[in-house]
Amino acid sequence: MGDGIVYLRLRRRVDVMPGAIITLGDIASIEADSRYEDRIGKLVIWKMRPEDGNLLMIDMLQIVRLIRRLDPSLTVETFGEPHVLLEVTSEGKVKPRYLLLVAAWLLLFFGSGMAIMNFHADVDMPVVQRRIVELLTGRPDRHAWLFEVPYSLGVGLGMLIFFNRVFRKRLNDEPNPLEVEMFMYQQNVNHYVITQEYAKTRQREDGPDA
Amino acid sequence: MRELGGEILVAIVGLSGGFAVGSAFVALLIVLDLIPRLVQLTRAYRRSAIFESALLAGVIGFNCADLFDWRLSLGKGWLVAPAVFQGVFVGMLAAALTEVLNVIPIVAKRLRLNRYLLLLLLAMVLGKVAGSLADWLLFQPMHD
Repeated sequence: MGDGIVYLRLRRRVDVMPGAIITLGDIASIEADSRYEDRIGKLVIWKMRPEDGNLLMIDMLQIVRLIRRLDPSLTVETFGEPHVLLEVTSEGKVKPRYLLLVAAWLLLFFGSGMAIMNFHADVDMPVVQRRIVELLTGRPDRHAWLFEVPYSLGVGLGMLIFFNRVFRKRLNDEPNPLEVEMFMYQQNVNHYVITQEYAKTRQREDGPDA
Repeated sequence: MRELGGEILVAIVGLSGGFAVGSAFVALLIVLDLIPRLVQLTRAYRRSAIFESALLAGVIGFNCADLFDWRLSLGKGWLVAPAVFQGVFVGMLAAALTEVLNVIPIVAKRLRLNRYLLLLLLAMVLGKVAGSLADWLLFQPMHD
């Protein structure tokens, strides 16, 4: 009876509305015999309650249990993550907080501006510049325009290249370090939340005395 | 002819110097995980271009203003914006640095103060604020 197998792959993170009814089709990709696929996809896994908070983990074991209750003859084969994170947002989709975004932009703008000026003051950049010009041209007493303009261009160019923006056409699919760092950060947060949620469910199962 | 060679060399040295500074600047910010935290706060996932543009505009703008002496004659009230944002920026940078160096978790664990983590953090924050205020209001003017 090879056709009684359900292949499942859970998504990592799903945005849901408060009070939503979560079906298996919402949180997983399903591959199964067409006889079951529809029924399994509509299988209700969880109803969001206000006390669930804004992040909720659903474990693969929970899902397997529900599928077996639906039809004990089914075998479940799983791939990928053994859990899925549900994030509750009012529109069912994460929207940026625009006011905070403007504040963050200004923060980075003024902050990085001050940081570069701090750096210049710290290393006595004007003196160094005049010295370099003197060493290279033999004349000390000129305003170092010739140094300062390429230097300013270089700062911007260096940043752009680090952000992987200039050679985008060539390195098309390569993400930039910022994107990688953002991804790693999210990954770490997810990992932490999942570990916490596992601890919570274990506590629930053991009862309050344990 | 020799003069022109010298001038070209100056330009090349300037460009390379800027290059090194620019990429080192970004690398430092990325190591400190400042931007991922801001992304999480603003929920602006997958919009890294916004944050990059802020850094780029800030660095280029202030760099040019610094080197070429661009002066704006604005009223004193305008100082509030850079003051607040730069203060927050330095605060975040300092906090990120201690986080990267794992100071607080290690201290808390060694001294078994895990439960008082919030108090330890508060002590650090208050210490920084008090230190900054004392520095600017009491000690700095004496050097003039």
